[in-house]
Amino acid sequence: MSAHAPRRNFFWRQLLLGAVLILTAKAQAYERIASLNLCLDQVLLNWAEPADIASLTWLSAAEQYRSLPIPEHVQLNRARAEELLPLKPDLVLAGQYGAQRAAERLQALGVNVVTIPDAYSLEQLQQQLDAFEAVLGPLPPLQKQKRALTQLLDQPTAKQRASAVILSANNITYGSGMLEHQLLQRAGFDNLASSQGLARISLEEVIALQPDLLVFYGSEQHFALAYLAARHPVLQRYIDSGRTYTLPKQLSLCPALAVVDTLQQLMDKREALVKAQ
Amino acid sequence: MLKHNKNAVFLLLAALPLALLGALGSGPVSVDLSSALAEGWSGQSSDAVILWQLRLPRALLAILVGAALGMGGAAMQGMLRNPLAEPALLGVSSGAALAAVLFLYYGAAWKSGWLLQALAIGGAFSAAAAVWLLAGRGASAGRLVLAGVAINAFLSALIALALNYAPSMFAMQEVVFWLMGSLANRGWDQLFLALPFLAVGVLCLFFTRNYLRALALGEDSAASLGFQSRAYPFLILLGIASAVGGAVAVAGTIGFVGLVVPHLVRPLVRQDPARLLWISALAGALLLLLADILVINFVGAQELRIGAVTAFIGAPFFFWLILTARRGQWL
Repeated sequence: MSAHAPRRNFFWRQLLLGAVLILTAKAQAYERIASLNLCLDQVLLNWAEPADIASLTWLSAAEQYRSLPIPEHVQLNRARAEELLPLKPDLVLAGQYGAQRAAERLQALGVNVVTIPDAYSLEQLQQQLDAFEAVLGPLPPLQKQKRALTQLLDQPTAKQRASAVILSANNITYGSGMLEHQLLQRAGFDNLASSQGLARISLEEVIALQPDLLVFYGSEQHFALAYLAARHPVLQRYIDSGRTYTLPKQLSLCPALAVVDTLQQLMDKREALVKAQ
Repeated sequence: MLKHNKNAVFLLLAALPLALLGALGSGPVSVDLSSALAEGWSGQSSDAVILWQLRLPRALLAILVGAALGMGGAAMQGMLRNPLAEPALLGVSSGAALAAVLFLYYGAAWKSGWLLQALAIGGAFSAAAAVWLLAGRGASAGRLVLAGVAINAFLSALIALALNYAPSMFAMQEVVFWLMGSLANRGWDQLFLALPFLAVGVLCLFFTRNYLRALALGEDSAASLGFQSRAYPFLILLGIASAVGGAVAVAGTIGFVGLVVPHLVRPLVRQDPARLLWISALAGALLLLLADILVINFVGAQELRIGAVTAFIGAPFFFWLILTARRGQWL
């Protein structure tokens, strides 16, 4: 490595910091923020100043997705460019997928549209949190969430491990490469789902694998056949013995908001299971 | 010919327990059947739990639902003297499914118990009555089927509409279940819920067997034989609604079984509408169980819909029947 390398690294770091600061400074000036994505709606509701929010998607007000009350002045949109233009937003947040046509149309009309990447793994989640910070600035709740996540991830992994398997709606399980799998691993569980990514798992396989912890996903308040497997009487013994945990629905909708609590709860659950054994 | 028929009936009877064994041996997990059977109902090993709590109720439910659909189809064809009549085609299944959808997705608790079945039967009964009223008294076969198709299409659209606005993240994908059926993840609870209603349906149809025999000679002949009472058609309709409604409430709309099964087995009972009820129940049970074995063994990202499989199995037989009819025999 040459003697100039540290100086060059310093230069690039300063440039990046400068860019973030410029963005941040700009971000603090945003007073009419609109969102085209449910997760981004919830991030704004949780972390941004209510007065700075101009519009959110209608989903954030829908019964099954509503997490916080919507401020009265906020307009609900169905991700259509014509709805957002009259609101004159100074920042429109769009997700990686969905509402792409509206985002493109708004951008073509000169609106400031920023795409926030989706997160399906811990690495992507950290990138997403950085992206939020870059565009919204160092909001105190965002900073707190980042610090809490770093602290949890820095903890040494547990030596006495337990086994777990996820049984989500429609008999779906989460294998390696997925955020849910990584959270289980970090919390000290061995995920018994041998597959990569999303895969089908039958009730027979769940029974045959005999996990220490059976992990459900999302607490559906309304009837759905998709949840029949999770409500099958054959799983009653797991429920009766307290060897179940339900990943919050929020983790799949917007992991940035739910990841810290979920990881902490999984760590606590493993500790309780190990003690009980 | 008679001996040949008896052999065929015997074969059907023998095939059902064999298919049941096949169903109990089918699944994604390899199970030691003999040790699981030896452990009995209350066995705690994985094999015993899988056999007694997962595979057995599902297989028995397939048998019950298949029997209800087969018998319902035979009764409907006998009552309407129409070879195209079947519970699904005449809106009975979709009526039951719509009632179940409205009840389940709009306000009912998960463990709704008997009310769900009762409403499904009400839906089935109302749909059949609507078809009957629309076609008019003494309607031709063509008009009846036309009325059935119209009511069925309307009810299917209503199911899709109701699910479209249902407050559930999975509402749209569940349209497919209600229109094509599934036995996945069903347990003893669903079986015990459906059983009494299927039993009532079978009992109602049992009491009308002689009426169906007489009706085969025509309405006037049936009346001259002492079957004037309007209670008989009502009892048949109640029987079909109870059996099919009970089945649909737990397994969704499974088409084709009620239509094709009576045609397949009618020669075995020499066109006798009364005996056709029982043999259709047997063949319906066998067809649905075989279809479910295929569903279980099918490897894919999503479970194959059993309604599609029954059509795959039944349609070739139906083609053969049509070709036979073209040669001037029966049907």
